[in-house]
Amino acid sequence: MNASEKVNIVIVGKRVAKLASYEIMLRELRENVILAASAEEALQYLLQTDMAVVLLAVDNSERDAFNTANAIRQNSQETPIIFVLDAPLTDLEHYKDYRRGAVDFICAPVLPELLRNKVAIFADLQRKARQLETLRCELDLLSEAVIVSDGEGRIEFWNAGAETLYGWRREEVLGKHLDDVVPITFPVASGEVLATVISAGQWEGAVRRLNKGGQEITVALRKIQRSDGGGAILEMGQDISAQLQAEEALRQSERLAAIGRLAGVIAHEINNPLEAIANALFLVRCHPSLKGEAQRFARMAEKEVARIQHITQQTLSFYRESPAPISVSISSVLDDVLGLQARHLEINQIIVEKEYRDDMAIAGFPAELKQVFLNLIGNATQAMPQGGRLRISTRESRDYSSSRRGVRVAVCDTGSGIEAKDAKRLFEPFFTTKPNNGTGLGLWVSKGIIEKYQGTIRFRSLRLYDGHITCFAVFIPGAVVSHSLAQGAFSA
Amino acid sequence: MNHEVILCVDDEETSLHLRKPVLEKAGYEVMIAASAMQALEVLASRKVDLLLTDYLMPGQTGTELARAVKDIWPKLPVILLSGVSELPKDMEHVDLFVSKVEGPQSMCEKVAAVLSANRKQQSASR
Repeated sequence: MNASEKVNIVIVGKRVAKLASYEIMLRELRENVILAASAEEALQYLLQTDMAVVLLAVDNSERDAFNTANAIRQNSQETPIIFVLDAPLTDLEHYKDYRRGAVDFICAPVLPELLRNKVAIFADLQRKARQLETLRCELDLLSEAVIVSDGEGRIEFWNAGAETLYGWRREEVLGKHLDDVVPITFPVASGEVLATVISAGQWEGAVRRLNKGGQEITVALRKIQRSDGGGAILEMGQDISAQLQAEEALRQSERLAAIGRLAGVIAHEINNPLEAIANALFLVRCHPSLKGEAQRFARMAEKEVARIQHITQQTLSFYRESPAPISVSISSVLDDVLGLQARHLEINQIIVEKEYRDDMAIAGFPAELKQVFLNLIGNATQAMPQGGRLRISTRESRDYSSSRRGVRVAVCDTGSGIEAKDAKRLFEPFFTTKPNNGTGLGLWVSKGIIEKYQGTIRFRSLRLYDGHITCFAVFIPGAVVSHSLAQGAFSA
Repeated sequence: MNHEVILCVDDEETSLHLRKPVLEKAGYEVMIAASAMQALEVLASRKVDLLLTDYLMPGQTGTELARAVKDIWPKLPVILLSGVSELPKDMEHVDLFVSKVEGPQSMCEKVAAVLSANRKQQSASR
């Protein structure tokens, strides 16, 4: 509804000529004037459209006028009624009854100027009401949460944005104290914010607030004191939790990219001297002049250098043995890795269960893929020093989000499990749960490799009554099924 | 015994002088060159069974050397040895890529494997 549109005025009365004369008087106002010969007709108009004012022409029969006013009042409580009286208003007491329905009286003789002025007031009032309604609708369209609270902090207005942001419905919070409904938990106390609004007229900043569900959300908040002197405070809030999370993720990925670039530089600068040291130690250890203890020291040094080489190989040298991707059989990669791990598996008394649903080949680099599964199977083996079961399965699958076809490889163990506090950081570089045994790079590197294939790597760790089951699932898109394999199990 | 000859190319002197005895210990005769140019000179002057070259060198890189070598001696196997993390793009003239961090034993095993594959190929084509 447009606030500048014409408003509707209805004139009700039995004497048509009289109504017509009033209509002529009001013509100057350029509003819609509707004539109704009966209460029923007037009511019909009232039900169809908003009326700024009802002019009720009171004839000789006051009883009729009273009934008409009553009927209008019952159907449309808001609409103001002006009684236009035929006779001078002599007995105020007499009109007491009408007070219930009437907001004003005009007595005969009806002066056009007076009638216009009185009607114009109600027309303007209607326009103002429309403006307010429009404004309220616009406030509801805003994604920002708009809240008005009075000088005492009680909520007077709560838009749809506030409902969405804080989870409370308008009718649940109106009249309640703002600080009780959506308390600020960080970084300043609600009282401090209020004090600033009162002294400086406004406050702006990011705060954490509790929503209806008791969760903390981060809100960019602006509070302004209304200038009408009533102490009411208007606030606008916007949820920036997602934005902050995105920024944090971006920072994190930039950090990782920087580490990646650094790794590239270090690769060259470290691997060259490292090769020389490894060769030198190899020559020292094999030298015929070296005996007993010295040889033992050389062997120790060689072992430690091999450890460094392992780290750099995991991180800095994703070398590929063929220049272009080739068709790689997933099951043969897995079998190669199991072959490499056979001794560890045997020593740790780990039972291996293989379930290769289909033998699938993907275009890729065998060494990279071997590295991924060596990391996963190696981790699983290390998680089961007291023995356990290692289950490796492959199947054709689809990506959960993109629904691309591919191969899903699951590596599950019955080892020590992953603690919740470690789960978030598992794929971070240098994060390890094995301080004496790990470099903290295996999963980070594996994730990097799988992401290069536009695949995903996910994990779940479940606590059971007698231990844990931990599963890592790798999805690589673009797999081609080559042929079916028989299921098999073997003990390593 | 008639030793197989390996030409080792690297611009870093220390690396070269330590790689040489490791390969000698594995039973090869080792020639050294400090650049691609020097390597081509050695190859022109005597018979070599395998070229083991570093990748990043001032002047020509290892893969550029491999291309030049294969133009003249297409049957000479070339192993590219590198400390860099990403495989170079122009690998078509390289028979095998070996990472420097694999350690001396692994390097010797790969050299032996390439030489043996090459021997088989030569006798088959003869």
